[in-house]
Amino acid sequence: MTPDALNRLVAQLAKLPGIGEKTAQRLAFHVLRAPAEYARGLSAALLDVVDHVSLCPKCFSLCDKAHPQCGFCSDTRRDDKLLCVVEGIADELALERTREFKGRYHVLHGVLSPLEGVGPDQLRIRELLTRLQDTDVEEVILATNPDVEGEATALYLTRLLKPMGIKVTRLAQGIPMGGDLEFADQATLARALSARRDI
Amino acid sequence: MERLKAEAVVLSSVDYGDTDRIVTLLTRSKGRVTAFAAGARKSKRRFAGALEPGTYLNVQLVERRGDTFRLDGADIRETFHSLRDDLARISRALYCLELTRELCRDHEPHPELFDHLLRYLELLSKAAAGPTSLIKFELDALEVAGFRPRFSSCTLCGGELEAPAKFDPSAGGVSCPHCAARVPHGLPISLEVVQALYALQNGSKQPMNASTRSRSRELLNLFIAHHLGRRLKSVDFMSQVGLD
Ligand SMILES: [Zn+2]
Ligand SMILES: [Zn+2]
Repeated sequence: MTPDALNRLVAQLAKLPGIGEKTAQRLAFHVLRAPAEYARGLSAALLDVVDHVSLCPKCFSLCDKAHPQCGFCSDTRRDDKLLCVVEGIADELALERTREFKGRYHVLHGVLSPLEGVGPDQLRIRELLTRLQDTDVEEVILATNPDVEGEATALYLTRLLKPMGIKVTRLAQGIPMGGDLEFADQATLARALSARRDI
Repeated sequence: MERLKAEAVVLSSVDYGDTDRIVTLLTRSKGRVTAFAAGARKSKRRFAGALEPGTYLNVQLVERRGDTFRLDGADIRETFHSLRDDLARISRALYCLELTRELCRDHEPHPELFDHLLRYLELLSKAAAGPTSLIKFELDALEVAGFRPRFSSCTLCGGELEAPAKFDPSAGGVSCPHCAARVPHGLPISLEVVQALYALQNGSKQPMNASTRSRSRELLNLFIAHHLGRRLKSVDFMSQVGLD
C-alpha cells in the first residue's frame, strides 16, 4: 500500500486538466525523488498564486492583489483610445508578444457558445459596456477567434457597441505568413479575398 | 478495422487535450458518429477550418474500439462560410445542428434528415432562409425522426378540430374541445396556428406572420423538449440574445 500522503498528492494532481491517473502518479514520484526544496518551492508558489493573483477589476486580466489595477491598465504610456477585446488571458499574451499593440485590453473570459449554453451573462460583457460608458475609447478591436463561436461573439458585441457611437473593428483574417494558397481552405481564401487591401 | 468514406456534416466539435478534437458528425450513410481528430488543434493545416460546426465534408473514417471512429481525412465540400456573417444565421444554424444531433442515434442512418439539414444550411448561407424556413426545418426533422406532431385532426378522437383547441406534447399534437378533459396540461392553440403548421408540414411555401411564427416556435420548442427529455441549449441562447 502506498502511504496516504502520496495518495493525496496523486489525487490532487489528477484533478488538473489533461492529467490522468498515470501521469499524476509519475509527477508525484518526481516530486518525491527531487530535493525537498523543490516541493517547498512548488507549494509556496501555488499558495502565492492564490493569495496574490486576482483579476483586474477593470479589464479582467491577471493582476497583483496588492495593486488596485493590472499592469496594462496602470501603464500610462498605453493608448486610452484603443481597446482590444480578447477571449482569454492566453490571447492577450499572444497579442502582447507582437509588441504591435499599445492600447488597453478587455478579457471576456470565454465566448458565446450556443451549443454549450454560454450566453452573454456568463461573460464579462456587462462590465465592458459599463467601462465604455465614460471613457476616451474611440475604437474597439474585436480579437476573438475566427471560428463560429468567436464570430458569434464579435457580431453580438458589434450589435451592442455600434449604437454607442464607438468605432468597431475586427482582426483581419486570411492566409497565414509563410502560408500556401494552394493549401488554404475555401473559407480562409474567401475571407482573404474580401479583406484584400491596396498596396 | 472498418474503413469508411462518407459525406458528412459537422454537428459539433470539442477540444480534447492540447492537440486533439472530438467531432460529432452526421454522415449520410452511417448516421451520427463520433470521431477522434488527432492533431486537429495543433496542426491547423491538417483539418484547416474543416471541423467547424455546419461544414459539409467528405470524410475518411477508421473504426476504433468501442463506438468511436478516428478521423483520417476531411475534404471540404462546402464551408457555408457566409453563415457566419450574421448572428441570427449563426444561431439558427447551430440550433438546427443541435436539434439534428439530439434527434438521431449513433450509427442509425438518417439520409432524409441529412438532406433536410444540408438544404437548410444552404438556404441560410445564401441568406434565402426566412424565419418560416426554420419552423419548416423543425417540422421536417421531427417527421423523419418519427416524431411528427399531429395538426390534421384531434390526436385523441380523430375528430375534426374546432376552437378552443389544445396542444399537448405528450399526446403528440392537437386535440379538440370534446377531448379537453383528457389533456389537462394542454396549451391553448388557435386554429390559425394549427392550420399554418399543418400547411407547412404539407409543403406550403406561405410565410407565416410574426405572431403565428412566435407561437409556433414556442409550442414546437415544448414539443421537442418533451420528446428529447430536455430543452436544447441553443434555444435558451437565442432568447438570451433576443433572436427568434
Ligand atoms: Zn486591467
Ligand atoms: Zn377529440
